[in-house]
Amino acid sequence: MENKLMIKLVVGTEAMFFLALIMAYVYFSLLPGFSPQQADHLDIRSTAIFSAFLFSSSFTFWRAEMNFKQGKMTRLKGWLLLTLVLGLVFLFGQGNEYARLLRENVSISSSLFGTSFFTLTGFHGLHVFAGLVVISIITALTFMGDYDRSTSSVFGTVGIYWHFVDIVWLFVFLIVYILPHFHKITG
Amino acid sequence: MDTILVPEPEESLPSLSVSNDQGILQWISSVDHKQIGIMYLWLSVLFLVVAGIEILLVRLQLAIPNNHFLAPEVYNQLFTMHGTTMIFFVAMPAIFGFTTYFVPLMIGANDMAFPRLNAFSFWTTFFGGSLLYFSFIAGGAPDAGWFNYAPLNEYNYSSSPGIDYYCAGLLFAGIGTVTASINFVVTILHYRVPAMSLKQMPLFVWMILINSFLILAAFPSLNAALAMLLLDRQLHAHFFSAAGGGSAILWQHLFWLFGHPEVYIVILPIFGIFSEVFPVFSRKPIFGYSMVIGSGIAIALLAFGVWVHHMFATGLGNTVNGFFAASSLLIGIPTGVKIFNWLATMHGGAIRFSVSMLFAIAFLIEFTIGGLSGISFAIVPIDWQLTDTYYVVAHLHFVFIGGTLFGLLSGLFYWFPKMSGRAPDQRLSRWFFWLFVTGFNITFLVQHALGAMGMPRRVYTYPNLPGWGVLNLISTIGAFLMAGAVGLLVYILVRALNKGAIAASDPWDANTLEWTTTSPPGLKNFDRVIPVKSTRPFRDYKRPEDADWKRQEVAYTEKPPDIDITQNNSHGE
Amino acid sequence: MTGQLFLNINPSSIFDAASPQAARIRHLTIEFIIAASAILILVVILTSFISIKYRSKRQQEDPKQITGNRTLEMWMVGVPLALVILFFFRSLATMNAVLPDRGNHSPDIIITGHQWFWEAVYPGTTITTANEIHLPVGKRILMQLNAADVIHDWWVPALGGKMDMIPGMNNYLWVTIDRPGIYEGACSEFCGQQHAWMRIRVVAESPGDYTLWLRREAAGAHVPQDTLARAGAVLFLESTCSSCHRVKGTAAAGLTGPDLTHFGSRQTMLTGMMANDSVNLGRWLTDPQQVKPGAHMPRFIFAKDSIRALTAYLEQLK
Repeated sequence: MENKLMIKLVVGTEAMFFLALIMAYVYFSLLPGFSPQQADHLDIRSTAIFSAFLFSSSFTFWRAEMNFKQGKMTRLKGWLLLTLVLGLVFLFGQGNEYARLLRENVSISSSLFGTSFFTLTGFHGLHVFAGLVVISIITALTFMGDYDRSTSSVFGTVGIYWHFVDIVWLFVFLIVYILPHFHKITG
Repeated sequence: MDTILVPEPEESLPSLSVSNDQGILQWISSVDHKQIGIMYLWLSVLFLVVAGIEILLVRLQLAIPNNHFLAPEVYNQLFTMHGTTMIFFVAMPAIFGFTTYFVPLMIGANDMAFPRLNAFSFWTTFFGGSLLYFSFIAGGAPDAGWFNYAPLNEYNYSSSPGIDYYCAGLLFAGIGTVTASINFVVTILHYRVPAMSLKQMPLFVWMILINSFLILAAFPSLNAALAMLLLDRQLHAHFFSAAGGGSAILWQHLFWLFGHPEVYIVILPIFGIFSEVFPVFSRKPIFGYSMVIGSGIAIALLAFGVWVHHMFATGLGNTVNGFFAASSLLIGIPTGVKIFNWLATMHGGAIRFSVSMLFAIAFLIEFTIGGLSGISFAIVPIDWQLTDTYYVVAHLHFVFIGGTLFGLLSGLFYWFPKMSGRAPDQRLSRWFFWLFVTGFNITFLVQHALGAMGMPRRVYTYPNLPGWGVLNLISTIGAFLMAGAVGLLVYILVRALNKGAIAASDPWDANTLEWTTTSPPGLKNFDRVIPVKSTRPFRDYKRPEDADWKRQEVAYTEKPPDIDITQNNSHGE
Repeated sequence: MTGQLFLNINPSSIFDAASPQAARIRHLTIEFIIAASAILILVVILTSFISIKYRSKRQQEDPKQITGNRTLEMWMVGVPLALVILFFFRSLATMNAVLPDRGNHSPDIIITGHQWFWEAVYPGTTITTANEIHLPVGKRILMQLNAADVIHDWWVPALGGKMDMIPGMNNYLWVTIDRPGIYEGACSEFCGQQHAWMRIRVVAESPGDYTLWLRREAAGAHVPQDTLARAGAVLFLESTCSSCHRVKGTAAAGLTGPDLTHFGSRQTMLTGMMANDSVNLGRWLTDPQQVKPGAHMPRFIFAKDSIRALTAYLEQLK
């Protein structure tokens, strides 16, 4: 129980951290205003696909949790591996996008848009990466048989964090990718 | 007497097998909440001395007009480090020291929920402080003030690595603070003796619970700001530089969104300490238990809606300023009523003037002064005149010293016998009290006048305008009196640890669970805990006929049992 | 060295109001001080009285265990709440009186804070000056406040509240000066090494004197008369002084440092740090970092007679 409460508090304080970053992003995108061309740098379609991978990793981790509760260890291992792969694909997509932007000379120091974009998505990517490290550790432990016949709260605890990371991305995706696009069509 | 099982962490504690003869190694490897608490307190004393020396140099420079004792760049580093250190590495560690030490004891637990995380929190804070001070040998300490306004904190205007160390040091300390708070919340919510309901928790524990949520909500804003500033300085991002399209004012919003709650973060636990001290030394229950909790929660909520009162002079317009004036005036009420809660607690009591209680009584007056001068910043036009002057310096020291530090000292003299098993010298401790309080008032009362006379804060020197020299000299003399008092305090503590009289386990006839165990408590705090049926379980235990939970409207008719617990070797007179 | 400078100026505490804006704030401040003193006296009396009356006596039984009193608790919240509401409305009224909306009023003067001097531009004229800021008495003036580098803050206590100068923002402040005189103030936002020597001098003049000053100030610089000053003028242009400083009517047109067109007519130099005389000027030109560490003026290695020539030239720029 205390692990769950602990991770909920972690998630709460992390949410405040992302709220500060998102507020800074919105503040800059509204007040001095990013020029529309800068939003054009973002490829909404490929990012949407990679986002789908991240969102589905939440589902696969939930399946892993369920199987752990029912003691189905083989399935648990499968779902954990699948989660890892989906998370990695997302990070690969993000890396790809960063590389493309840097080729187009959009960097953290190039403009206010670059500053806000790389900081917000970068911190999120860092959280995905940290989550993947933790998930690979518990996957390894699962394969080593640490959780056979145990009532460990570790899957529930990690799960709360992993779903949180996904929800943050939902907001980031909405604000960074979709809203400017929408704005361009109407404005 | 029925006993209650003491909740313990699920996992075994590595330290319990380590014996004490390993000396310093045992301290470093410890995960025991009492040892970590003591390390937090020593860390705080260490930094108190360092930051104190820094400010003595500053006061020497200001003793006379047009002084050339310190170069401006040195002066700016010293006052920046003084403020940063006092907030993050004196006040916070001292509060966390008492918290880690006493929260488990007060709720009848044997340790914190996550003992290893507890050690991690301490060492991260320690490392953050070390990193901040490493800047002195790495090319210059931070020099843009403790709130480090943009764009003065940008590389263009402060090219020494000092501000990078400021960011890194505070980020580390911030992580330590947040993890510690998570630990406190889980401990308080999950490790109370089963019989202790939330409404029976000691007020100190209540304030820590509220405070921990405040920390969890406030610190991320600082961490985000520090991360952005590091990106600006190291990777040439543009968050806070107007030249690159960024916004200087964004730093102020993010900083004070953390910074104002921070002010309450270092005072709420103090309210908790006083809510233990006043009842014990008045031999009465706290007046308005739920009102103290309620006002604590009100403060915590309102604390997030008042940050703009640090920015009334930034030209945000009368509408915005009016809104934040209202919220800032409002937050004064839950803060102010507590003074009357404590006065009403003393009223009709049997007051014993221990050093702890002396600090508590002095606090009532000093904190009222600091609180009232604080209200003048919520009245926008007065703020326009007085913000960023020595009046602010006076105000903030009246709340930080007259409030926070007096509370910590009151707590220190209250709990020292419990922590060390020794009693500090009573006569010397009283000398310390009077010297410190006198020095404090001499130093800071005159600064109100200096501010009203037009002296801005953070000036390394000042012209010889009528009255300025004299008042500054008085202030400097007061500062040295305080320094002498702190020297005396360190002597008192070291002497008490070495050859102080042995303290009883319950020297004050106190009310809460920490006094039911030995002084100092063993490695395992409790084997069994007395029943908890009210907020004052130990008193109920000692005076069963007059127990809080028994009392309806009937006043007791018999004399309470003659357990002579008030007898105490530190009451030499 | 600076003692003499401050003898002939007006006292400048927040209680020496010399403008209706400052007077309004003073009024509110005094009301506040009365209310605050009353509360403080109440707390002091209660604390002393209770401490003395209820001190513990030997062998005393436990006193009556009172845990609260609803009525008293209501008063404890109610009275402060009433006071706070009163002051909220008083302060709203004062805010709107002191700092009303600018509307479409254009600024009468634009003051820009630099590390570490004040640049003043008078819209509608060609006048740019520094540090000693002349304003007319009896006229409601809108000041526009800007910053060139870091945040500075304009504060002259006798004339009213302060206002930050923030890079990338325009801030405004109203002031109506009651009577002629010199008003002291200072930068009130920490702005780096020489924050201490960023003093303000507002020279308030009667409308007649002010018009005269405007006329004198609008003219170009005096042409140096004697040979020493003429040599100084040449040096000024040759030694790159002119790339940072402007002297109107000459080739010197730098904009990063203070405008020196009428430098000789100022009483103080280095933003209120010292009297404007040849000795101080000589020391400054010899080694700026010695006199005002951190100042952005680099050290030039001048021969003694070059410094004399430059000093003579600058002193004649009346």
